[in-house]
Amino acid sequence: MANKMEDRKVLSGSPRIKKVSFLGRVSAVISQHFQQVFTSFSELWKTPIATLMTVFVLGLALSLPSVFNVLYKNAERVTGQWDGASEISLFLNKDISEPRVQVLINKLALYNDIDSVTYISRHQALEEFKEMSSFSKALNYLDENPLPAVLVVVPTKDAMTSAGSKLLVAKLQREQGIDLVRVDLDWIEKLQAILELLVDIVIAIAALLLISVLLIVSNTIRLNILNHRDEIEVLKLVGATNSFIQRPYLYAGAWYGLLGGTIAWLLTVAMVIWLQSGVMSLMGLYQLQFEISLLNFKEVATLLGIATALGFVASYISVKQYLVKIEPK
Amino acid sequence: MILFEEVSKIYAGEHAALKQVDFHLKQGEMAFLTGHSGSGKSTLLKLISLMERPTTGRMVLNGNDISNIKGDDIPYLRRHIGMIFQDHRLLMHRSVLENVGLPLLIEGYSRYEIKRRSLAALEKVGLMGKEDFAPINLSGGEQQRVGIARAIINQPPLLLADEPTGNLDPKLSLEILSLFESLNEYGMSVLIATHDLGLIAKMRYRTLTLKDGEMINDGLMRERNG
Repeated sequence: MANKMEDRKVLSGSPRIKKVSFLGRVSAVISQHFQQVFTSFSELWKTPIATLMTVFVLGLALSLPSVFNVLYKNAERVTGQWDGASEISLFLNKDISEPRVQVLINKLALYNDIDSVTYISRHQALEEFKEMSSFSKALNYLDENPLPAVLVVVPTKDAMTSAGSKLLVAKLQREQGIDLVRVDLDWIEKLQAILELLVDIVIAIAALLLISVLLIVSNTIRLNILNHRDEIEVLKLVGATNSFIQRPYLYAGAWYGLLGGTIAWLLTVAMVIWLQSGVMSLMGLYQLQFEISLLNFKEVATLLGIATALGFVASYISVKQYLVKIEPK
Repeated sequence: MILFEEVSKIYAGEHAALKQVDFHLKQGEMAFLTGHSGSGKSTLLKLISLMERPTTGRMVLNGNDISNIKGDDIPYLRRHIGMIFQDHRLLMHRSVLENVGLPLLIEGYSRYEIKRRSLAALEKVGLMGKEDFAPINLSGGEQQRVGIARAIINQPPLLLADEPTGNLDPKLSLEILSLFESLNEYGMSVLIATHDLGLIAKMRYRTLTLKDGEMINDGLMRERNG
C-alpha cells in the first residue's frame, strides 16, 4: 500500500503546489508588509479602551517635551525682539569735533564684529531727551547742552554673545575720543544662563519622558505577545519565521508611537492656544507685539517621526525579549 | 523519508525520554507509533518536527541531516512537514478558511491562490461550505479535519499526527484514519502516534512500539481476536 512513488497522484481538487518565483516572493513580501501594517492597526481597535488609554498616556508624555520646545523657541524669539540690549552705546568726549567723529565712525565701520554704527549728535540727543522726558521747558533754561554725542554700535550676530560683547567693549574702550562705553552685559549673561538652564531642564525632562514612552509601549507589546502566545506557537509550527511573526507587533508599536505623537501634537496646539491670550496681555504691558509661534511642519514631522521610531524600538525590545523565545510545545 | 540512528533524548533531571532509537520510515510509507503514556511517542514526533533537539544520535529528514540544524532553518523545514495535533491547535478568532490557508500565507502566496487551495483542501477533508465558520462553532471531528486540511494544504511529503483521534468517537476516528490512508495513497508519508491499539489493529499498517523510551517492536500488529 505504501511506497507507491510511481503511483503518486495529486490531491483531488488541489492543484500541485508550484515553487514561488523570486519576483513572486518579493511582491508577496511587499504585499505582506502592507497587509500587516493595516492589520496591526485594525488589531489595535479590537480593544479600543485599552488602546486609547495607552495612546493618551503616550500623548501626554510626548506633549510635555513638545510644549517645552515651543516655549523655548518662543523665548528665543522674545530675546530676539530685545536686540536693543545688545546695542553698545559709546558716549563721546564733549570736546570732540565733528570731523573726528566722522573718522571714528569710519574706523568703527571697519570692525568685523560691528554690524552698524548710528551717530546721535549732542543736539539730536537733547531733542530726543526733551521728547521723552517732561523736562523740555526746564532744559531750555540751561546755558549749555549737557548731553554728549553718542555712537550706537550694533554688534554682528556672532559678537552679540556675552564673550563677543566683552571683547568688543574692550576694543572700543581703547579708542580715542570715547568717554564711556555702556553695555548691559550682566542682563544678557543672566538671560543666556536662564535659557541654557531651561534647555538643560527640558533635555533632562524630555529624556525621562521618552524613556517612559519606551517602557509603556514595550510593556503593552509584551502583554500583547503573551496574550497571543498560543497563536505564536501555531504560527511557528506551520513554518512561520520569527520575522514574519514579529512584524505585526513591530508595526503595532510604531502605530502606538504615531498615534501618541499625534495626540501630543494636538495637545501642544491646544496648550499654545490656551496660553496665547495670557501671553499677549503680558506682552502688552511691555508694549510688545508678540504671538506664540506653533510647531512648524518640520517640527511636527520630527515629533511624529521620533514618536513612531520610539514605538518601533520599544516594540523591538519586547519582541526580542519575549516573542523569539516562545517555542511550540 | 525519516531516518533515526541511535537517537536519544534526555531531559533535565536525567530523565531519558528516548533511548538509542533506530528506525526508518520510507517515502510514501504510513506507520503507527504506539506505546503507553510517557513511552516517548510525543518526544519522537517533537524531535522530527524540531520542537526538541536530540541529546545524541543522528536524524535525517528527506536526505538532510537535521540533528544539528540551525535555528533559522527550522521554519523552512517545518514547511515540509504537516502536523496534526490532538488539541487541533487552531486559531479560534480566525475563520476556517484563514486557518487552513495559514501555511500558504507564510510562504507568500497571493490571496487568490490561498483561497483557491484552501477551498480545495477543505473539499478534500469534507468541510466545503464551512470555510467562513469560526473553529469554535465546529464539532471536535470537524476541528480535527480543519487541522488536517491545514497540514496538507502545501502537500508536504511528510504528515505527523499526534493522537489525532484522541478526542473522537470510534466512528469519527475511523473516518479520520481513512482520510490519512487516502493522503498516503497520494504519496505522502504518514506517521501517526496513538495509543488506541484497537484502531491500529484494524488498519494493519507498520507499527513502531515504544516502551520507556525504547523501540521494542517494529512490524505489523495483529488484532487480539484474530
